[in-house]
Amino acid sequence: MNTFASICIDGVAYGMILFMISVGLSVTMGLMRVVNLAHGGFAMLGGALAHYGMAALGLNFAVSALLAILVVVALSAPMERVLYRPLYRMGELQQVLATIGITFLMIASVSLWLGTSILQIRLPASLSGAVNLGFRTLPADRVFVIVAGIVVIGALYMLIERTRFGVKLRAAVDERDAAACLGIDTSRLFSRTFALGAALAALGGIMGAGLLPIDAYYPLRYMVLFLVVVAVGGLGSIAGSFVAALGLGVLDTAARYLAPDYGTIFFYVAMIVILGWRPHGLLGRGEA
Amino acid sequence: MSLIPRDRRLRDLAILLGMALVLTAAFYAFPDNLAFATRVIIMMIFVLSLDFVLGVAGVSTLGHSALFGAGAYAAGLCAAHGWNEPLLGVVAGAAAAAFVALLSGLFLMRTRGLTLLMLTIAVTEVLGELANKFSDITGGADGLDIVMGPILGVFKFDFRGQVGYVYAACMLLLVFAFLRILIASPFGLAARGIKESPARMRAIGAPVYWRLVAIYTLGGALAGIAGALSAQSTSLVSPAVFDFQLSANALIMLILGGAGRLYGALFGTLVFMSVHEVAASVDPFNWLFIIGALLLAVVYVAPAGLLSLPDLVKRQLRFSR
Amino acid sequence: MKKHFLGLCAALALAGASGAEADTIKVGIVAPFSGPFAIYGKQFKEGLEVFVKDYGTKAGAHDVEFVYKDSTGPNPDVSKQVTQELLIKDGVKYLGGYVFTPNALAVAPLITQSQTPTVIFNAATSVITKKSPFFVRTSFTLPQNSGPMADWAIANGIKTVVTAVTDYGPGVDAEKTFIKEFEAKGGKIVDKIRMPIKTTDFAPFMQRIKSDAPNALFVFIPAGPTAFSFTKSYSDNGLKAAGIQFLGTGDVDDETTLQALGDAAIGIKTAYPYSAAHKSALNDKLIAELAALHPDSKANFATVDAYDGAYVLYKMIAAAGTDGDAAIKAAKGLKWESARGPVSIDANNRSITENIYIREVAKNAKGELENKEIFTFKDVPDLGQAK
Repeated sequence: MNTFASICIDGVAYGMILFMISVGLSVTMGLMRVVNLAHGGFAMLGGALAHYGMAALGLNFAVSALLAILVVVALSAPMERVLYRPLYRMGELQQVLATIGITFLMIASVSLWLGTSILQIRLPASLSGAVNLGFRTLPADRVFVIVAGIVVIGALYMLIERTRFGVKLRAAVDERDAAACLGIDTSRLFSRTFALGAALAALGGIMGAGLLPIDAYYPLRYMVLFLVVVAVGGLGSIAGSFVAALGLGVLDTAARYLAPDYGTIFFYVAMIVILGWRPHGLLGRGEA
Repeated sequence: MSLIPRDRRLRDLAILLGMALVLTAAFYAFPDNLAFATRVIIMMIFVLSLDFVLGVAGVSTLGHSALFGAGAYAAGLCAAHGWNEPLLGVVAGAAAAAFVALLSGLFLMRTRGLTLLMLTIAVTEVLGELANKFSDITGGADGLDIVMGPILGVFKFDFRGQVGYVYAACMLLLVFAFLRILIASPFGLAARGIKESPARMRAIGAPVYWRLVAIYTLGGALAGIAGALSAQSTSLVSPAVFDFQLSANALIMLILGGAGRLYGALFGTLVFMSVHEVAASVDPFNWLFIIGALLLAVVYVAPAGLLSLPDLVKRQLRFSR
Repeated sequence: MKKHFLGLCAALALAGASGAEADTIKVGIVAPFSGPFAIYGKQFKEGLEVFVKDYGTKAGAHDVEFVYKDSTGPNPDVSKQVTQELLIKDGVKYLGGYVFTPNALAVAPLITQSQTPTVIFNAATSVITKKSPFFVRTSFTLPQNSGPMADWAIANGIKTVVTAVTDYGPGVDAEKTFIKEFEAKGGKIVDKIRMPIKTTDFAPFMQRIKSDAPNALFVFIPAGPTAFSFTKSYSDNGLKAAGIQFLGTGDVDDETTLQALGDAAIGIKTAYPYSAAHKSALNDKLIAELAALHPDSKANFATVDAYDGAYVLYKMIAAAGTDGDAAIKAAKGLKWESARGPVSIDANNRSITENIYIREVAKNAKGELENKEIFTFKDVPDLGQAK
């Protein structure tokens, strides 16, 4: 019983981190139809900037994280305009090539700037203890991550369902050309969505740094992991990403509790089974 | 065979001769870099097999190293258990990789796009984990070291890598010739048709799914040859053969050169590996800048690959006139 | 700067190949200088620079010159290719470096055939030196670290242990040696955990260990991001508070990642042949010289492995010139005082015999974390060869 509860708790905490980093990728890939392999790069940039803010500038965690996200957003706007815009009309393969190129440039920049060792993000003392749950304890930063994850999905839900931006975004994800015909300024929409995706990635990178430590090769190391979440969840589906991230988180955690020797195999076989059953992901629609 | 027009056959022969000449020239021009040249040739075979699967038939995959690795381990295990004649190892590698491709293809070829990409990655990861897990058989993370016998019992691998180079070069010519013939055959034309429009192929009654499985199996066999050659020339197989990075690099090389034309595979591999080799030796710390910039430049200037550059330039010139 | 240095090396290599200098002996260094493992190449190179500053460029009557080649990562194909080029094109007579076991194994046939003495600076599988009579090792092997850790645990009242190792060759080696030694001396292994290589979240293992409630945990994880998250997970999940001691090999807290682990790492005990906090005049000198050359760098095991590797290379070159057989003879039984303490090259297996220190993470006078040596096992040979 305790094991079962533990699996759920640890799995959800892990899943939340996966969700926060991957959801931005799902939204941008769903909307722009760009296979964006550089997404993890934005998470890494967020983490690296937050590290720099704390270690070199002496800022506290909250300020540093906020500034890092703002800088990533500021960087993402010109990148979208210059680097990504020409890709929207290109083939999948060209997108893969270009976004891998961008990833390489990001890795090279960060390793030139901060080296290749681990860039630690020290959490404030209030988040570094453990919370007692009665039958076991849970690290305070995991609790924080779970809460942050819930806030993010809540905010995204409000944004998508209740604002004009959300209406346009949904319209454009479903029918890009029709949306453009109806007078939606897709170019502006794309910029904003891209910035949103980058911000979410940066937030996830910073929040998840305890689990997926930030270093220059972060985008390559975890590229597949984030893509798995998006593919399993279904492109462009926020709810799908959420379900997939939590599901995979719990599944992976369960494998580690129950059959650690075959952990990795279990994870990928599960993915094969899910995608065999629903090729467009759990909540995806139509062409992927 | 009779469907190939005569002039085409002649042209192919000329191309093969040309390639043989270049390979021979390289042998004499870079006598001290044969190890690198051999690695480039093996990679060319691998990227050619990817070109057939992806460039010609349009099956997007990020898990081609699964087939490379299957070939490498098959050849390695052959040699480790006494059958150390290299050609035998290549046959075993091709067969094993074709088998893996067939088994996984039965499932993979039902999907497309991102799903297919992710599933191919998953297959590779599972195989890599198995290679690590069954270390009694595979040597695990330390690798399986093997001793190769002479080719056909006559040509012994030498210290300078001359025999290894010639051996790999011959394999490259064979694979290239095979692919040229295959692509011009009805089977190859069907493969192209599937890439252009699966729906239309289905409409004219072609069994698209089974064709794709056959293409993937065949491509797998070729990738297995590359894997076997790699195992033999390094005389060691390690789980690194199942690296995601290897699949990704092969894809980069293919798109860089231009997919679907075979030459693109050769050219892209040569350029990527040479740039990497030079950049990494001049400045190993920052070579990623150079590679990254190269990839972006190609996508934005010549999205159809480096091979399309001459055409682009020609068009530009005509335009300005 | 680095760029110029390597460029210079390449230029010198070319000049040397054309026979400009009669008696320069070249030494090829193969290590990852790019990619996720580039830190090894960097540490090696710095170690060699410090060595050259101490000993100059002359070994006996011969000038010595290092030629660096990038092996990128655990990639035997590349390792073999660059080694072959070093031997053929650059005409090196000695080799050094090699971080990963497959990379070292792949060159065994080459160095045997060309009789090139090769000093392993890192790759830690016992079997390597058996694969060619021209291998010498100045790092350590996994059994060399995990055996003494087990002895120390028994001597310090630890009766029950859970082992947690990364599920691949070296991890399994470390686990087996530890268990054999620990059980032979009357200890009890409560649970054995093998963690997948790509584990990102260690919380499940921590819960399992916690419910096993052993006196201590023995861990082997290769240095890098996973070691970092494992160690973090240990303190976050309250194992430390529950009184479960952390025992491991020094891979989890080497000096380049130690500070990043934060105060939560205090109390972690690891077995390793070198700590930057080792108290000796030689070590102080090495650290001071490194600081003078590279103010941002930290000395760690890789720095010292390369430094000592260069020592062995110089001794071999001075004694034997280009005669590979004679060079290996000169290396066998070589004894000297290193920055890590007294060391020698075992005459039978050509691996290093050295002190293994049990270190505890603690704060030093400057308020930084250090691996404080608390116990010494003297002259430990490669325990993996004994069987």
